[in-house]
Amino acid sequence: MSSSSLAERERSPSQIKRGPVRRGLSRKHREWIAAYLFLAPDLMGLFVFLGIPMLLAFAIGFFEADGFGNFAFVGLDNYRQMFSDPHFLKSLQVTVAYVFGYVPCLFITSLLLALLLKQKIPFIGTFRTLFFIPNVVSLVVVGFVWKFLLADQIGVLNQLLQGGARSWLGDPNLALGGVIVVSVWFSMGYYMVIFLAGLQEIPAEYYDAASIDGADAWATFWYVTWPLLRPTSFFVLLVTLISAAGGQGFDLIFVMTRGGPAEATSLGIFYIYQQAFQFGHYGYAAAMALFLVLIMLLATIIMFVITKGGRFEFD
Amino acid sequence: MTIDRALFPSYEPDSTGISRREFLKRAGSMSIAAMGMGGAASTLASCGFAGGAGTGSSSGSASLSFWQFYAPGGGDKAQTQWFIDTVNTWNKNNKTQIKLEYIPTADYIGGSKLQTAFASGQGPDIFIISPGDFLRYYNGGVLQDLTPYIDKASQADFYSDVMGTRLVDGKIYAVPMEVEPMAMYYSVDAFEKAGLSEKDIPQTWDALLEVAAKLKTSKRYGIVFETSPGYYQNFTWYPFMWQTGADAVDPTTKKSGFNSDGVVQALQFWQDAIKRGLAPRTPLGGGGSDVLANLAAGYCAIQNVGIWGISALRANAPNFKYGVFKLPLPPGGSYKTILGGWAFVANAKGKNPEDAAKFCAWALASLKQDSVQRGVDWIIKAKSDVGPRKSVMEEATKEGGFSQGAMQIFKNDIFPGGRGEPRYPPEVYKAISDALQACMLNGADPRRQTESAAKTIDTFLSSYKGANIL
Repeated sequence: MSSSSLAERERSPSQIKRGPVRRGLSRKHREWIAAYLFLAPDLMGLFVFLGIPMLLAFAIGFFEADGFGNFAFVGLDNYRQMFSDPHFLKSLQVTVAYVFGYVPCLFITSLLLALLLKQKIPFIGTFRTLFFIPNVVSLVVVGFVWKFLLADQIGVLNQLLQGGARSWLGDPNLALGGVIVVSVWFSMGYYMVIFLAGLQEIPAEYYDAASIDGADAWATFWYVTWPLLRPTSFFVLLVTLISAAGGQGFDLIFVMTRGGPAEATSLGIFYIYQQAFQFGHYGYAAAMALFLVLIMLLATIIMFVITKGGRFEFD
Repeated sequence: MTIDRALFPSYEPDSTGISRREFLKRAGSMSIAAMGMGGAASTLASCGFAGGAGTGSSSGSASLSFWQFYAPGGGDKAQTQWFIDTVNTWNKNNKTQIKLEYIPTADYIGGSKLQTAFASGQGPDIFIISPGDFLRYYNGGVLQDLTPYIDKASQADFYSDVMGTRLVDGKIYAVPMEVEPMAMYYSVDAFEKAGLSEKDIPQTWDALLEVAAKLKTSKRYGIVFETSPGYYQNFTWYPFMWQTGADAVDPTTKKSGFNSDGVVQALQFWQDAIKRGLAPRTPLGGGGSDVLANLAAGYCAIQNVGIWGISALRANAPNFKYGVFKLPLPPGGSYKTILGGWAFVANAKGKNPEDAAKFCAWALASLKQDSVQRGVDWIIKAKSDVGPRKSVMEEATKEGGFSQGAMQIFKNDIFPGGRGEPRYPPEVYKAISDALQACMLNGADPRRQTESAAKTIDTFLSSYKGANIL
């Protein structure tokens, strides 16, 4: 039914008689406009607080800027410099290691937690809350608490290990692992909730059917839960990948290791921060930030292509 | 609203409008502010920008903002009160009012607050800096020349070693409020339990490691050095390098002196302390400068800390028994320690640089009794420091501030061998920090590290155009 005929039907006969029928926008177009009007405040916010800063950050990558209002145009020098800067290359290596450590660990632990806490057992709400609680604590506080727990010699973990005591945050071979463990501990409650929401979307009939077919727990998970959870899994993977590469670990590293020992935890984002805010090389920092954004964009596109936007072969 | 101001700094166009050059500069300033605000998507935004710049410092009021990190509710109320009293006294007698603004220490030192504020054109009118940051601000053109506001007699009152790193071409750009020499603190209780006494206080590096070995237990380290990478770690290591006769930069040749046997020796010494398990890889609490979380808490028996440790222990662990001693020497070395400390500076691009400069001079660099007394109150009552001026030290000594205990040792033994904290640009600092971290915590070969760092420093120095590196 066209929008004009609908409008006509809603009018009284006298109204129809008095005036000519107005041919306005179609319903589709009116809905389209309404939708964008609703979205407008958010879009404006995104444009002002993300779009414009991104454009400006892109522009400043072509300047040498000291943060005191002094600028010199340097063309592509900042971009050339980053590829011969051993510290930046090292920070990219650390970022890759962090992403490959953090993302799978977080994915598995939060999924396992969600599967465990999906069960209908007494006090399930309390258990869910307990696992989510770390997420509401400031990362700075989390960093300080874990720094104490992982302290050399007298830390709780080393006390438990006795003879196997190590310097979890002071040994370059262990420090990144230590930071990853704390990052996962902090974030797993949040992603557990997302997985729980995904699990609750799966119709119970599928599980009933699997049970009737004699499927055991593993078969049920592999043939029912896992395929139907893939859109949620895709979302979790994408978000954790971007946050890990972008700056999720920054606060913890700032508090726990300051990028040390010997640059072992100097993530790309941390090095960018140092160059901008500690060394006053804003142009160079902007160039590196742009490069990091492009890598994340590329990774996102690859993931979309591989997974067909998270739909996989099931839709 | 502060955020709006950070994003769009308020500039007052002149009557002729703005030039293309000016437009580009303004756009650049906005970009940097934007980097702090939101950055390239989530990337720069996650750079730990804490709450935006300005915090109302330049919110249109006529008062001058004074940024520092001695916040109410902080570690020592007397230090906060000293700042409040100083500003109140000025405000009572001057038309230009000054407003204190507290920045959390972590945000001020090593954080982004101050830098972001300047980048967005919202820098404070008055602030405090350490020598490690001096060149960045001076070369950025934001430090006001304070010389016209300090008379000749007052200028001569400052110790030359202390003032040296605050001068450029004979002009004063910062007024030091304190001098903070580094030394070794030790736990008397730990010494006694290990069967050691004052006679066993080590005089050499080798002896220090031997004593640390005797003091080490399953729950306590022998000694603590700073291990976190940063300006502070470098600061604490420099005197060990200097004691060997080496230096990172030779101010006369303007070349690096880092590739030398002395530097190798100093790097090796800190590496040995870690390798032998005598020093922890991660100090507790606030790190190597935190005497409460490490020495007083029993985490170590000896700690490499500055004179500020005395007031920290006095305020928070009054019953803890400790002693201090000079930094031990390497074979054939001569005694040196480093003289740290913060200084008042005025923002040359602030609302009223002239009055800001007058305040700095009035507060810390006048020969009038109230200025001298202010210095005395800071170094022996609010905090524990050596004074940067002869008059302040004379008065503080008269008042008994250095008549006994650790303060006496600092004044008579430790301070006299001091050298001002160097003002190295970030590129020099980073090269040294990398070598130190690699040797100390990653077992790298000190010789190779010094060669590599020296090359980096020389490359930088060959194109450096700022003020003299001292």
